[in-house]
Amino acid sequence: MLKRDQWLDLARKLDWEFSYVGERDVFPDVVSGTPWLPQAAWKDWDEPYKTTYAEYVSTQHAKDASVYAVRDAVGRIEDYRKLDASWLNALKLHSATLPLAEFAAVVGNLRATRFGRDSAWRTMANFGALDEFRHTQIPLMVMHELVKLDPQFDWTHKFFHTNDWVAIAGRHLVDEMLTASNPIEFAIATHFVFETGFTNLQFVGLSSLAQAAGDRMFEKMVKSIQTDEARHAQIGHPVLLTLIKHDREYAQRLVDKWFWRSWLFFAVVTGFAMDYLTPLEHRRQSFKEFVHEWILDQFQRSLDEMGLKRPWYWQQFLDALDSYHHMVYASAYTYRATVWFDFAMPGPEERAWLAQKYPKTWPQMDPIWERVAERWRESGPGVEWHTHGATPVTFCSTCQLVLCGGTPAHNTARLHAHEGRKYFFCSEPCEWIFKQEPERYAAHKDVVMRILTGEAPANLLELLRKSFGLTQDMWGKDVARGNYRWLEAQIERHKEKEVA
Amino acid sequence: MLVPLYGFLRGDTIGMVVLVHDHQTIADVAKVLQQAASVRVKPAARARVYIGTHALDPALTVKAAGLGALDRVDVVQEH
Repeated sequence: MLKRDQWLDLARKLDWEFSYVGERDVFPDVVSGTPWLPQAAWKDWDEPYKTTYAEYVSTQHAKDASVYAVRDAVGRIEDYRKLDASWLNALKLHSATLPLAEFAAVVGNLRATRFGRDSAWRTMANFGALDEFRHTQIPLMVMHELVKLDPQFDWTHKFFHTNDWVAIAGRHLVDEMLTASNPIEFAIATHFVFETGFTNLQFVGLSSLAQAAGDRMFEKMVKSIQTDEARHAQIGHPVLLTLIKHDREYAQRLVDKWFWRSWLFFAVVTGFAMDYLTPLEHRRQSFKEFVHEWILDQFQRSLDEMGLKRPWYWQQFLDALDSYHHMVYASAYTYRATVWFDFAMPGPEERAWLAQKYPKTWPQMDPIWERVAERWRESGPGVEWHTHGATPVTFCSTCQLVLCGGTPAHNTARLHAHEGRKYFFCSEPCEWIFKQEPERYAAHKDVVMRILTGEAPANLLELLRKSFGLTQDMWGKDVARGNYRWLEAQIERHKEKEVA
Repeated sequence: MLVPLYGFLRGDTIGMVVLVHDHQTIADVAKVLQQAASVRVKPAARARVYIGTHALDPALTVKAAGLGALDRVDVVQEH
């Protein structure tokens, strides 16, 4: 009987010469991606895991059993009732953006399963598709139970089916990266940049925070998912190596584009969780410190190994680490009814921590929170609308996120006219991405364009109900409804001053 | 005629879409934007409106200043 290593390549390296159809017809450029290269150029494609189907099934079964065991032990509603309310909102944010994006990744992987240019790549992509099914199903299963605890958890499934502004941005990203990309762009965008470059933020950083917050279920879930990601992310490296060999400039462009798009997504999802929604006593590092430790060293090393340069906007990215998620969080807090989770207002202790972690930019952010606190002092607790905006805000024509680039002193929004229409961008890299492929982005309507063309109501309440799919019991509020001890003490002090 | 403008108030965290009539003044534009952002930035009695680095005359109307739909204006408070 042959040993595993003797027969393995017979099972996973199954490319053959076609006799009655041309190779280019089997793998057309439009679906397989460019540059179109003959199979000979891809024949050395390889990855380190070399998993067989039997091994895959056996390993995944064991992992699923382990997740179920943890769910049975600590995944009940009463276990979640013990967790901090702010942390539960980090969970709602993460849960909504995860499962159906993972489902879109099933589509991307299945396209590579058919149109990837080497059979070992196609085999691995097939496992990747099965992985992503699992990553869709696990959070849906875990969070479904929590709908009984809090109806906002319903957005775990509902989110991607709405026209909420975060959902529009999320779909814009995952539709391009996962659903519409050819296997070459998909492999670089998803496997090399998003999974290899960034998901440590989710799987190492957030699981560590979950452990500190006492959320064993979330910790187990993301760790289990990470073991799959670590395997199928290996697809990206050999695809990128081949692309560099044949079209270095295009390879660099794809890395630059997808690093920026991925960064914005993670800054919102993970930046919020790490610097605002995790209770102060459980925070181990700031978002910025985490990105430096877990993302930058590894990503820069990968680029060096491949002979690629850092993205051209590297300094802008480093600057944004100090400010972008703070700008979006403060803005979103004052538009919290437009999303499906609640926001924590940073009090004096949290603000002191943020000032220490972000000495360069926090002095510009702190007056915003002082003003919000002043508005809460005026209204007293429970009056959400006194700290809530009513005027429509602006969105980026590339990332579809709010125009929160730069700092309060200098918003980096940019205006560009294309074929008679005006487009706004949150940053120079988003404008650059648009200009590279305007035909890909120009027809898309952001929330403002939907309002101006009559597709969405301009009145905020109507917009929330009719367009964003939110109702009063679902939409975001202050997590404490303004009932903070520090705020109460401030109100008392102000009253005493007035009396005196 | 109503003119939607992309307004950025210095000191704020986000750009806003403000709707003004073309017969309103540039001073009105500053007021409308400051009011829209007032949950985050306390309005000031005086503020200048800029297109790029060019400060607009507060007495000009929106139309006379040449502002059209979806133009960008920046507002800087004067303390």
